[in-house]
Amino acid sequence: MQYMLLIYEDESLYQDDSPDLEAVIAAHQALAAELAEQGILRGGDGLKTSDTATTVRKTADGHALHDGPYAEAREQLGGFYQIEVPDLDAALAIAKRIPLLRDGAVEVRPVMEMD
Amino acid sequence: MNTLDQTAREAGGRIVAALATAFRDLDLAEEAYAEACARAAAVWPTAPPLDPAAWLYATARRHALDIIRKRNIRQKLTLDAPEPEPSVEDILVSDARLIPDERLRLIFVCCHPAVAPEARAALTLRLVCGLSVQEIARAFLVAEPAMFQRLTRAKKKIAQAGVSFEVPGPDAWPERLSAVLSTLEVAYARAHEDAAGLGPHAGYGREMLDLTTALADLLPTEPECLAFAALVRFAEARRPARLDAEGAMVPLSEQDPARWNKPLIREGEALLRAAARLNRSGPRQLRAALQGVWCVRRSLAEPPPWSAALALYDLLLAWREDPFVRINRAVVLAQIAGPATALAEIEALDAPRLADFQPFHAVRADLLARLGRRGEALLAYDRALDLAPGPAERLWLIRRRSEL
Repeated sequence: MQYMLLIYEDESLYQDDSPDLEAVIAAHQALAAELAEQGILRGGDGLKTSDTATTVRKTADGHALHDGPYAEAREQLGGFYQIEVPDLDAALAIAKRIPLLRDGAVEVRPVMEMD
Repeated sequence: MNTLDQTAREAGGRIVAALATAFRDLDLAEEAYAEACARAAAVWPTAPPLDPAAWLYATARRHALDIIRKRNIRQKLTLDAPEPEPSVEDILVSDARLIPDERLRLIFVCCHPAVAPEARAALTLRLVCGLSVQEIARAFLVAEPAMFQRLTRAKKKIAQAGVSFEVPGPDAWPERLSAVLSTLEVAYARAHEDAAGLGPHAGYGREMLDLTTALADLLPTEPECLAFAALVRFAEARRPARLDAEGAMVPLSEQDPARWNKPLIREGEALLRAAARLNRSGPRQLRAALQGVWCVRRSLAEPPPWSAALALYDLLLAWREDPFVRINRAVVLAQIAGPATALAEIEALDAPRLADFQPFHAVRADLLARLGRRGEALLAYDRALDLAPGPAERLWLIRRRSEL
């Protein structure tokens, strides 16, 4: 099954370069390389901060644009991995290995299967 | 009890588990099993089966295959090759012992940590123990439609999120096992509260005995599993002595050990010894030992094991601070150090947090009564009674209150 691992963190922590930040990025690269090696990785990337986001909402007479992310929250979607593993346990095990700068959460969402 | 009810009770969990794991589909297992039971109800009165469990299993399996064909789903799962439909003779000669015991796998599915905690116990009781949604709703004090929805949501999550039907591997094992055990503890606590065993989940204590036996047999090197099985035995062994002639609760120290179920106690003791031999201590072993120290008592003439119980409560608190353990410990402490010391312990607890916790008020009332503080004791009894205790405890509380 394919899963999206959606990473939510306080993005203000990512504003300044710091040794911690470099370590997290290196850890992401190592994890992604390992998952690719194992043939598990289907995609993934880091996202720019949510102040660069534009939300397009469909309205009765067209579309409204909103300068900002879909939902304002302390923790924002900052990156994702797409993986293919046998079951939820395997996906959860990888989610636990995703490096986070400090606090944060990883949402594990199964990807819809199109037969 | 008729043959169908009895078979459903004895073999229903195994049949549903075998279907669920074979087809990797909880809804299908439930539906096919329900259909088999409906057919049994129609057919058995005139054509009683030789082996009722095997009949139900074969019929449910055939019905599951029918449903799959009707859905016309081409799944990539490795289903066993579709069998030719069993003839009546096939059904009659098949043997219930051939139903694979997949209950452990089903338990791990139902108690997966990705399933909402409030749904896990309910789902286990529904699928593995075969309780009706109505019975579970009543046991968990939830309206039936809400419980139905909770179960539906949990089954959908399991189906859609890719929860594995395999017993978890070593990496996930500690977390998964702990989720199973705490789920079953919640489930057993409900069964245990029903002191009379005549409530809507009558016999569900017995189902917990079966379930924990299965778990202990399948996981003989997990001490906490063995300890939980022991605890359920010690607690169920005392069931015959938990109520007096009027149906009021009898406190542990006043129960007549002659009425306890000795074979069940011996089973519990053997399980607890086996757990101890594995040399990995844990809170469930302490909780089982706490029950066990009582069960060695042979008659009311023997002194109650207050100091052994106190020592075990202290070990349990060293493991983890827990106001519920503190309240139980206070009952024991009152016997050893007197009610004033015990009351001081109770009063030191976070009263606002325990405001709706019935045992807090019941124990406090008793201690106040023993200290002769009648007015306060009356208020505490009233508060305990307000918090909807079970019928047996209610009677007991009313009696104690009237004795003031």
